Amino acid sequence: MRNLIIFFRRYFNFFLFLLLEVICIVLVFQNNNLQRSAYLNSANDISGKLYDKYNNVQYYFHLKATNDSLVAENTRLHNAVRTSFDSVVTGTGLKIDTIRQYSDDTLHRVIGTQVRRYKYFEAKVINNSVNKPINYLTIHRGSLQGIRPNMGVISSSGVVGVVRSVSDNYAVVLSMLSKSNSVSISARLGQGKEMGSVHWDGDNATYAQLKDIPKSAKVHKGDTVVTSGFSALFPENIPIGYVDTVMMSDKAGTSYNIRLRLATNFYNVQYVYVIENLLKDEQQRLEDSTYKLIK
Amino acid sequence: MSILLRNIIRFAFLLLIQVFVLNKILIHQLVSPYLYMLFILALPFNLPRPVVMLLGFLMGISLDMFSNTMGIHAAACVFIAYLRPFIINVLSPQGGFETTQKTPSMTSMGVSQFLIYAAVLVFLHHVVFFILEVFGFGNPLYLMLKILLSTAASLILIVLYELLFFTKK
Repeated sequence: MRNLIIFFRRYFNFFLFLLLEVICIVLVFQNNNLQRSAYLNSANDISGKLYDKYNNVQYYFHLKATNDSLVAENTRLHNAVRTSFDSVVTGTGLKIDTIRQYSDDTLHRVIGTQVRRYKYFEAKVINNSVNKPINYLTIHRGSLQGIRPNMGVISSSGVVGVVRSVSDNYAVVLSMLSKSNSVSISARLGQGKEMGSVHWDGDNATYAQLKDIPKSAKVHKGDTVVTSGFSALFPENIPIGYVDTVMMSDKAGTSYNIRLRLATNFYNVQYVYVIENLLKDEQQRLEDSTYKLIK
Repeated sequence: MSILLRNIIRFAFLLLIQVFVLNKILIHQLVSPYLYMLFILALPFNLPRPVVMLLGFLMGISLDMFSNTMGIHAAACVFIAYLRPFIINVLSPQGGFETTQKTPSMTSMGVSQFLIYAAVLVFLHHVVFFILEVFGFGNPLYLMLKILLSTAASLILIVLYELLFFTKK
């Protein structure tokens, strides 16, 4: 017993070293598992507030780029809005009640108008990285403002990522720029409608890979790749990127491996929109119960 | 200024510089400089080893909180905090460094001695850090290049820091 104590005292430093390293490694493994919704640290109040202060200064230097992207988005929305279209039908008839159409009350069931499916929140990006194997954005909007984990996040030009963890006033978004098998976005070719999935290969923040596009698809440089709308995170037809180069995936050449230029410029993203899918739970429940039935 | 106060200020200063300036720098996906471990390098010679390790852990974990890399920086910091006394022993002259020179720096150790000391520890830190961050040896050439170039960049920063704050006698 005495020898044991002497042994421990002599090698105390080494044991402390081992203990600390084990703590570190445990932390690494706990937090690098993307499936776990572990509490992420820059969502906490201290680092969130500091990033907010820092961003106030940094934001000023990006004002021009931010303005340009907002004007471009406004133009796009003006072009999409109903009053920009000239109705050819001049006869009297039913006019669609847009207020009712876009409301999210339950009356739509009675009247039979369209159901609101997506709700958008705007949020300011206060921290962003593009140079890590797994990148995160911190946004200034949290659970008090209606953000919950697993909501889709887009910018004015394209897909950004998925909300990972939330504190009262801040949220951390897992960026699309994450080199991991669990971050893949269900994508579709804008022209041919073929489906595939988008991954980031960890190399360059302006490019990503689109995989599983069948050889029968017609792909040209510059084609748009959009979200498929299957994942319940993003609505349909949100741009992900534009086709840059097309390669065969292997010798046999069964599918294409496409390099995409990402639609979102991750270097200067300042404002994002968080998307809440109001029907997500319903879809999830139905899908889960079906899987259970088949098992 | 007391040693304690100076080290507390250095801790905060290096952490903020690392989080807000250096973490934003990236050249060709290869060079990402780190300066914060200078805090561990510049702790006093006679500080007990467990304290050095605990302080290293604290520094690493604080940076991890900001960069969402829970545990990776901490592991690298504890590693170099543990190895620090060995390197100092190897480099120290007969009878150790003078007790008036309380912290390792260019003036107390001599320029070449300090550079070797810093280079070895920074290199080891980067090896542990990048292996844990990339987590895989799928692309060993890239990993090695990244470690070497980042070590060089970090060393340049450390020398600059030393010239700015330590050269006055």
